[in-house]
Amino acid sequence: MEQTTTDHDTGGIGRRKLLSAVGGSAVAAALAGCSTLLSDGEAADQGGQSGGEISDEPIQAGLLTFTRGAPGVLGIQAQRGAELAVQRINEAGGIGGQREIELDVVNEGSNPLDSYNQFIEEGKEVTFGPISSGTHSQIAPEVEKNEIINVSTDGTVTTLYEETVPDPTYSFRFQNYDIMEVVTMAREAVERIGADNISTVAGVNPGYSFGEDEMRVFTQAIQKLTDAEVVYEGFPELGASDMANHITSINNEEPDVTFSSLWGGDVTTFVRQANANDMFENTTVFGTTLYSAAGDVPGDALAGTDIYSGSRNYYWGLPAPGNWQPGRELFDAARQQDGVTVPTAHYMSGYGAVTAWATAVEKAIDLLGTYPTQEQIAQVLEGHGFFTPAGYHNIAEDHQGASNSFAGQMVYDDDLGAARLEDVNTYAATETAPPPGVTGSDWLDSWSA
Amino acid sequence: MAVTPTAALVQTLNGIQFGFILFMIASGLTVILGILDVLNLAHGELFSLGAYTAIGVFGFIIGVIGPPGGGVVGTAVFILAVLAAVLVTAAILLPVGTLFEAVFLRQIYDRDQVYQLVLTFALLLILLDVKKFIWGDSSIRTDAVYSAINAIPTSELVGLNYPTYNVFVILVGSVVVVGLFWFFERTKTGRIIRATAIDREMATAIGVSTDRVFTLVFALGAFLAGFAGAVAVPPTSATLEMGTNPLVLSFVVIVIGGLGSLRGAFVGALLVGIIRSWMITLYPPGEIAAPFAIMALILLVKPEGLFGTWGETA
Repeated sequence: MEQTTTDHDTGGIGRRKLLSAVGGSAVAAALAGCSTLLSDGEAADQGGQSGGEISDEPIQAGLLTFTRGAPGVLGIQAQRGAELAVQRINEAGGIGGQREIELDVVNEGSNPLDSYNQFIEEGKEVTFGPISSGTHSQIAPEVEKNEIINVSTDGTVTTLYEETVPDPTYSFRFQNYDIMEVVTMAREAVERIGADNISTVAGVNPGYSFGEDEMRVFTQAIQKLTDAEVVYEGFPELGASDMANHITSINNEEPDVTFSSLWGGDVTTFVRQANANDMFENTTVFGTTLYSAAGDVPGDALAGTDIYSGSRNYYWGLPAPGNWQPGRELFDAARQQDGVTVPTAHYMSGYGAVTAWATAVEKAIDLLGTYPTQEQIAQVLEGHGFFTPAGYHNIAEDHQGASNSFAGQMVYDDDLGAARLEDVNTYAATETAPPPGVTGSDWLDSWSA
Repeated sequence: MAVTPTAALVQTLNGIQFGFILFMIASGLTVILGILDVLNLAHGELFSLGAYTAIGVFGFIIGVIGPPGGGVVGTAVFILAVLAAVLVTAAILLPVGTLFEAVFLRQIYDRDQVYQLVLTFALLLILLDVKKFIWGDSSIRTDAVYSAINAIPTSELVGLNYPTYNVFVILVGSVVVVGLFWFFERTKTGRIIRATAIDREMATAIGVSTDRVFTLVFALGAFLAGFAGAVAVPPTSATLEMGTNPLVLSFVVIVIGGLGSLRGAFVGALLVGIIRSWMITLYPPGEIAAPFAIMALILLVKPEGLFGTWGETA
């Protein structure tokens, strides 16, 4: 990893110039989008243009995420990301320069709908999360009913805004969603192996809506890109301690490609047991969220593996930390937090969800001159573009997040003490996401073979 | 999906391996049920406690002997160290079991069974919080054991691609099975325990201290749960929720085998392990339902389970 910043690396965006543009605050620089939405640097110092129109009451916010167990490997990343974003906003004076954010975090694991409703009863003005697609499908209709904005960190099932909540007003998603990361990995498989060399495909995916959705989309995408036949599909439950049967089945079939959307601690279990069963001698693994276990999977488990992993919309190596100082600052700050070996895409889920909402509120304050209503914030969030240390993001008019995605070989970095991606390819949102208003399935169907 | 003979053999071995883990858990549950007439809902948490404890014990013992050495001697030393860590872990669970029986369960033997269920459920919750207090929310793992044992090329000797750690589990599980049957069939203590199970009053009349037997049996159950946790944890992680599924499957196993029958628990565990393994291969959605379907079928045909109540024979 590049550790130093040079004039060449910065690509013309000097640190002094960048900090000047956001009022001289390195902290604010990490929320660059928040500041660039203001008319000039002074506005941030003045707390927006509304003066006394904005109360100084703290904003009560809630985050649903997994804080324990195997899913906690991923959920704690989202929590730490959200916490750092809130900390930086508060240190910069709060929303509109006056309203600090108080963030409550609850574990998503048990009765997440009850936890969400508790947030609403407590008067939360915004909620973030959840991680699980199953939870997201439960709470999204409630979000619409309660008319309190939710910006999900993950909950990436493709059908959410196609079927569950087809015409959302208050429910938004920061993260690149299933079809985007799956198409990224289908393209990555063709890029790495070649379409002519992919004739058989297997899958090991989590045994619930997310995993089933990802395998269905991957099958559809890879069969448009190649003539591949699906020879095995396995769906272990979340937190499964034994994946030997799925691995044995893959060894039996020796597929050219094995697709996996396992995540969190399940990745570690799968990779360790697959390695012990010599599975990587029989197949190449492409996984959308395997990199979510970057800080958890041990070096010996990754040795000799052949895994290409996606990274939704964030990989700390791109933009290279040397090229953009906020990325470097976020990477260093994240690593100092408890439970974060390296920040992953899910760290950016938490950070980005808070930033998406905060920058939209700032934009609305700038436009209105007063603190916006839930409906006004929702209107601004539609089509909202903003920066984070992971680059530029957009929440499209269909409420889906849409950003660049990354894929590369997953290797263990002894110096870093964690996994990283090597030889990374970048895929633009236009390559991986259907246009707004077109369902993922129809979009994939429209591909020419 | 065409299944080759080799894949069929490996899937069956996977099932046997899982069955042995299940037996190690279910044996403790069934021994406590057979003698004390207590359905211990906290048994899964004792298994989980064993897994958490083992990670620390593995770390300590491997730290003392160093990384696995090369050659036959180095390998043997490492495996002996792992076995020692498993036994130390199980031994740590002995006083936990003793404490539970002596302080809590002993007070309510004469009461309705619902009190036992409530009490053991309370112990389950307490153990859950104890684990959270000591080890935190996040999952934890031991790295060295699984990869080091897999580095030993046992299965390749017969031309098979199979992890050595699974072979290790099957061998250790076999020793546990033989050891348990030997203990209850051949030793004086084992016979006293069985006699107490068959006729508690008669055992008391001939001078057996049922208090001691009960404490010993509960401690033995905790020992077996801890042993199973230590053996099961290297390929995966220890998590707060890990006790739930094994507990449920153990209930299924002991119902299939016959409540309180050790032999039944063994047969039931292998049956559940192998059928689950094949179900994952042939019809994955049936993985969860299959053990319950077998249980329902056996309850219909033979309501007392395959081997009925334990006591006359182990």
